[in-house]
Amino acid sequence: MNPRMAEQPVTIIMIEDDEGHARLIEKNIRRAGVNNLIRPFANGSDAVKFLFGSDGTGAENKGNALLILLDLNLPDMSGVAILKRLKENEHLKRSPVVVLTTTDDAVEIQRCYDLGCNVYITKPVNYENFAHAIRQLGLFFTVIQVPAAI
Amino acid sequence: MRFTAVPRFSVQPILLGVGFALLVAIGVATVWLAEQSAADAKRVVATINVQAKLSDLLLNVRRAESGQRGYLLTGRQAYLSDYRDAAPTVETNLTELRAMMGDHSEGIPVLDQVAGLARAKMAELAKTVDLHDSGQIEAALATVQSDEGLKSMNALRVLVERMLRGEERVLLARSDASRSNDARLLTVTLAGLALIVLIGALSVFLVQRTFRQREAARNELAATNANLERIVAHRTADLTEANEEIQRFAYIVSHDLRSPLVNIMGFTTELEALRNDIFEEIAKLREQAGVAAAHADPREGSGAPADPLGADFDEAIAFIKTSITKMDRLINAVLKLSREGRRDFKPDDIDMNALLASIGQTVAHRASEQGATITVADLPPIMSDALALEQVFSNLVDNALKYGRQGEPGRIEITGRATPTQVTYEVRDNGRGIDPHDHQRVFELFRRSGPQDRPGEGIGLAHVRALVRRLGGTMSLTSELGKGSVFTVTLPRRWIGENRSVA
Repeated sequence: MNPRMAEQPVTIIMIEDDEGHARLIEKNIRRAGVNNLIRPFANGSDAVKFLFGSDGTGAENKGNALLILLDLNLPDMSGVAILKRLKENEHLKRSPVVVLTTTDDAVEIQRCYDLGCNVYITKPVNYENFAHAIRQLGLFFTVIQVPAAI
Repeated sequence: MRFTAVPRFSVQPILLGVGFALLVAIGVATVWLAEQSAADAKRVVATINVQAKLSDLLLNVRRAESGQRGYLLTGRQAYLSDYRDAAPTVETNLTELRAMMGDHSEGIPVLDQVAGLARAKMAELAKTVDLHDSGQIEAALATVQSDEGLKSMNALRVLVERMLRGEERVLLARSDASRSNDARLLTVTLAGLALIVLIGALSVFLVQRTFRQREAARNELAATNANLERIVAHRTADLTEANEEIQRFAYIVSHDLRSPLVNIMGFTTELEALRNDIFEEIAKLREQAGVAAAHADPREGSGAPADPLGADFDEAIAFIKTSITKMDRLINAVLKLSREGRRDFKPDDIDMNALLASIGQTVAHRASEQGATITVADLPPIMSDALALEQVFSNLVDNALKYGRQGEPGRIEITGRATPTQVTYEVRDNGRGIDPHDHQRVFELFRRSGPQDRPGEGIGLAHVRALVRRLGGTMSLTSELGKGSVFTVTLPRRWIGENRSVA
């Protein structure tokens, strides 16, 4: 049960500065039976470089099916800025973006949806809830359709 | 601050007084001089009258004389009647002159001489007429021929003329006096007028100077005020900024503290999940080492060894998890406070009776379980932020219910009173009360008072005070341990959105 596109396996891009969080997220996604490649990025710059390529157009990812897990609090840039850039990019605008962050501020949530984020999840502090939420997310990943970048 | 000194002791009242005194003096002098003038005029008239009367006297004596002569010459009665007409008037003239000259004595002796001569003359005339009447015509003529009459007549004329000249001198002197009096009157009036004009000018000058000084002082004051307002605005801006900084800081800190907490909680749970595996491994190793696995792990019943290590492990994990949960609650509290601090308040007309009634309904179930009664007196309305007030009074009523006394049915009373600018509400309970040492402390974040036997984080009152302050109000507490507490909230009657800078 892999998130899929007819020809292309989906790559999960995980932009998360906290390595512990990244590890816990990965563990729980795997527990939901998701075996796709997960590419972790610990800061915004590296993630942006990967997503939009060296020319910054995003053309390099053409044909790749990407699912982006995005934390908003990054050390070097705001996750919101990355979200905005993704949704404005002609190649990557259809790639699903899941915002996974500690903020449950209503204004922030609204802003993210306004910018085109597909799912917004607040990380529960209680680990049982956290693990549960991530596993649910993993299950969700196994059923959704992810289009390739154009 | 320096102000231009406006002289407190002004010369203007003095000037005004001097001007007024001058006016009075001029008035008095004028009246006096005018009266003098009138008196002078009267005297002049009197002198002229004396002159006229003297001429009259002389005329009458001559009329009497010519009548007598005519009669003596012709013996005709017409001349005699002329004489008889004129003769008495001479005496009348003399009496009148005497009365007229009563006031200036220098003429009196001359008048006496005149009177003597006139009477002698008249007596001579009367004598000749009598002689003629008795038929002694020669004797009468002889008397005339003796030139006695001519002489006395001449003497009389000379005397009267002298008197007339004297009167003329008096007249001249009096006219002079009158003229100089008038001149003095004019001078005094003109001088007074000039002085008043001078005082007026001086007054105007002083008034203008005072006005200019006042104007300058006023401008300076206005400038100072403007400057003060600028300073206040500047400070307010600084404070607002500092406050916002604190809010942001609280938000960021609490937010960023959550991230590691997720890890701690997550990996602790992961560790817990690993526990059985670890202890199974240990059991296996021990088995291999020949140690008998006597009893099963009571917790899992999975055949793992009951090990004191296991108990320690569980204890440690339990402490870690409790602490994390607590820390999570605290962070959430800080977040909540900082969010409240950032929420925009909107002023609204609030029916406090309805607001408290709704709070009463919310806690009605709990209150009846505890046997507590909540009484709400008629409360004055207020213009403020409804949500904030709802939170303030929910918290206070909630606290009053929460900290009741054992074995004493709770009585919670909410009262209010209004002044023209402020409204004061009181929430009074008969609960366990607060130690006087803690009256300030209970309003601090995470601080609680008394036995810690009720759930809570020590956030409620800190939150309440922050809200009340933001609404421009103050909070106070009077309480006695074991008797009850009164929380007093004083708010501006009409809060229109001017946030107090420091929450």
